[in-house]
Amino acid sequence: MKQALELKVNGQLYEVFVEPWQSLAEVLREELGFTGVRVSCNTGDCGSCTVIVDGKAVKSCLMLAPQAKGKEIITIEGLAQDGKLHPLQEAFIDHFAVQCGYCTSGMILMAKTLLDESPDATEEEIRAGLSGNFCRCTGYVKIVEAIMAAKEKMNFAR
Amino acid sequence: MTHSVVGKSVTRLDALAKVTGQAKYCTDIKLPGMLHAKVLRSPYAHARILSIDTSKAEKLQGVRVVITGEDVPPKRFGASVFDQHVLARSVVRYVGDPVAAVAADTIEIAERALELIHVEYEGMPAVFDVEEAWQTSPAAVVHPDLPEYQLAKFPSLQLVPERPNVCNYRTVRCGDVEKGFQEADLIIENRFTTPRIQHCPFEPHVCIAQLEADGSLTIYAGRQSIFLAKQYLCSLFELPPSKIRVIASYYIGGGFGSKVTLYTEPIAVVLAIKTQRPVRLAYTREEMFASGGTRVPFVIHIKDGVKRNGSIIARKMMMLLDMGAYAGSGPFITRNSIYGIVAGYRLPNLKVDAYAVYTNQPIVASFRGFGTTQVVWAIESQMDIIAEKLKMDAVELRRKNLLKEGDMNATGEIVHSIGLRECLDKVADLIEWDKNTKQEKGSWKRGKGLALGNKYSMAPTAAVGVVKVLEDGTIEVRESADEMGQGCITVLAQIAAEEFGVSMDRVKVVWGDTNFTPYFSRGSTSQRSTFNLGNAVRLACQDAKRQLCEIATQKLQAPPEDMDIKDGKIYVRSERSKAIDIKELFTAERELLPGEFGNYVEKKGEVVGKAVSVTPAAPSDPLTAQIPSDIARQGGRLTAFYGYAAQAVEVLVNTETGEIKVERIAAATDVGYPLNPKMCEQQIEGGVSMGLSSALWEEVVLDRGKVLNPNFRDYKVASASNMPKIDNVKVSIVIAPHKDGPYGAKGTGETQMTPTAPAIANAVYNAVGVRIRDLPMTREKIIVGKRHKNEGQQKKQAR
Ligand code: FES
Ligand code: FES
Repeated sequence: MKQALELKVNGQLYEVFVEPWQSLAEVLREELGFTGVRVSCNTGDCGSCTVIVDGKAVKSCLMLAPQAKGKEIITIEGLAQDGKLHPLQEAFIDHFAVQCGYCTSGMILMAKTLLDESPDATEEEIRAGLSGNFCRCTGYVKIVEAIMAAKEKMNFAR
Repeated sequence: MTHSVVGKSVTRLDALAKVTGQAKYCTDIKLPGMLHAKVLRSPYAHARILSIDTSKAEKLQGVRVVITGEDVPPKRFGASVFDQHVLARSVVRYVGDPVAAVAADTIEIAERALELIHVEYEGMPAVFDVEEAWQTSPAAVVHPDLPEYQLAKFPSLQLVPERPNVCNYRTVRCGDVEKGFQEADLIIENRFTTPRIQHCPFEPHVCIAQLEADGSLTIYAGRQSIFLAKQYLCSLFELPPSKIRVIASYYIGGGFGSKVTLYTEPIAVVLAIKTQRPVRLAYTREEMFASGGTRVPFVIHIKDGVKRNGSIIARKMMMLLDMGAYAGSGPFITRNSIYGIVAGYRLPNLKVDAYAVYTNQPIVASFRGFGTTQVVWAIESQMDIIAEKLKMDAVELRRKNLLKEGDMNATGEIVHSIGLRECLDKVADLIEWDKNTKQEKGSWKRGKGLALGNKYSMAPTAAVGVVKVLEDGTIEVRESADEMGQGCITVLAQIAAEEFGVSMDRVKVVWGDTNFTPYFSRGSTSQRSTFNLGNAVRLACQDAKRQLCEIATQKLQAPPEDMDIKDGKIYVRSERSKAIDIKELFTAERELLPGEFGNYVEKKGEVVGKAVSVTPAAPSDPLTAQIPSDIARQGGRLTAFYGYAAQAVEVLVNTETGEIKVERIAAATDVGYPLNPKMCEQQIEGGVSMGLSSALWEEVVLDRGKVLNPNFRDYKVASASNMPKIDNVKVSIVIAPHKDGPYGAKGTGETQMTPTAPAIANAVYNAVGVRIRDLPMTREKIIVGKRHKNEGQQKKQAR
């Protein structure tokens, strides 16, 4: 039976009707149209569906939608503020960290929580922090470079 | 030659959409009334279908149709051998073979319906091992009717009547190998294998099929090569080309070769015809592993005859390629794998026998490298074995045997645009080849290794480019290469910007719709978009410019030959001050009548430049693969070009646990000329990491044909933490301009994948003395190899 559920996504409230077993990824994508949430494995093993829930990176294919009730959800669509890209988004563009783009949303959101939690993360720590977010295209070199560059920029702005 | 836009690392056109989540993929498309499909698959590797009862499934609420083999065309389809029905009609040939399909209101209902379908099977003997399947009396014949099957016109295939599972046999004969072996000082013989691996594109296969009111079909697909799909579907459903439209005008979430043949499309089409509703079929990750296509596993016997001075005077290779149950592009790979053998080294005497062999294993597909990766694995491992036997430096041995510009390779092609020597020197330098490796204490051992690689691009091919000049002066490129992450839209836009002398923001690219974008034979495959389509777009720009100049004659009062175009303006060369904006050509030359509007070009309507770029292939002898020498002398080639690469790595190997860590990588690729250097680096780094992953871990593990690891937990692909530190990955681009490439460019999506695994294997040998011949290089293999080595040494000492 579908039930009404209120979700707060990128600062806005949405009311949706969902089955209790529907994943957050599915509801965000299929019901609310946040298709920037990419589902690649649907089993919690690749990280492409990563979103931020109350400040923590979450694999949204593993979380049930009702579990996100009352929480702040950030998807890739909500990262740019007032039409200005987040430094991570800028760095991913400038450092050519994007190829097919399917892992990109998850990668950027994962990097954001990493840097939010430890603004001075070393390359090693960034690498380890990304170990659950796979990318089949880039070989990670440019992704790590981009995150390091964004880190500098974010710390400078602080 | 100085260029203003090509040769520069301009920002990717798709990057903004991808970092903001706005990018759309086939997966994101929803159509009104769309149904969802699911496929019931065979649990057996080889069985006869006795009966299928779909009645319960049909009664489930929300199920709109259930189809079985009886509902699909009696015709078979395939990329080279027409060996596959849309759904199995009486026999299933691998675990995962589609048996029935459901279209329902939701995915969940479709899934439940599958559980209600009852199929009765009768088991048949199966054959899993390619060497067994290749025998004259194998345990099972996968396609007993093979001799009656229709074969694709290209490439031409050769069956072997006494070997019933062989669906293509390809040979090379050059010189006299037996004589070469007699003259050799050293004969070295080895057997190498590569496993079945999956491409793991991040967007799994997906399509939506829709039947239009006029009986035509529209297919939205997350795939490579829309025109190939159109051709396949026309043939399968016996429809004229005008009745099928294939769309991929959005982004594709990676391909790597997996999205070239048909998977989801035929099933979705049958369901759409039955229901008269749009039907979406999306594979799960698990289905990708079981039925989404895999890289062709090779068994390679290689025998070399070598002179004491290091020159290879004879090489003989016998290769068995495991096609799985349906051959897909496998027979094509069998044919083309020989190019990887002849590309880099001088081989005066060469004999190759390659067999495509059916087994009851999962189906195969093209895969980044298209057979070259597998042959390079054997050859480059063998080169190090030879070097050791001769007590010769591995770099030196390779240098000694390299082909160079103007040489003739073993198929008779005249070598052109070969930056291989430079690639080799570069990586040897970057990895400090001449410096001894510093050894660690304890169980970690350090070693260095390197390997060369190459990848041809196929011929013959044709590409059509269309360039439309819009009323605001924007240049619109229309093309049919698939944007799957490799960046073709950016490169093609750079070419148009260069030709028109405008900045990138004055160019727009429209792609991927067989109704509106021009023909591109095989789409983005064989690392060919830059080369083939790049040429076509360049010529199309020139055509459009010519037209603009003609149209401007009246306004500029000058002959078109005296005009040129730059910065959105047409100007007179002999009188620079005479110039008009392209925009102005779109306003009427007379005064508009009240209510009339302009925005078109008087008389011509619109300005559309068009061009075709054809890359021909020379004929070659079907048995020897040789080009007739007169044609070779005139520059006749079997391939469009060869990309070349070298890679050197430094590894740490743990002698206790067998773990391998790749510490440093130096990769060099000859790209012809880099149209966008950063994007070339992307391809190189991607090839390095996919190569590393395939070298160390990747293998689709099978038990009687069933995939045991169909997920990213049990099938490991490289993560960020498996890659060396960014400063330890050194990438260099080697320039060796190709006379036929746009601005000298060649393609480079595949090349750097090829040397990765042997470079690592050679480094592992250097570190711990264990020679790995069978990929992947798992811990067990290292430990077992180490043990054998120790036992061998003990025996030697005891003697
Ligand atoms: S889609 Fe959620 S982790 Fe892969
Ligand atoms: S860019 Fe394709 S998976 Fe990361």
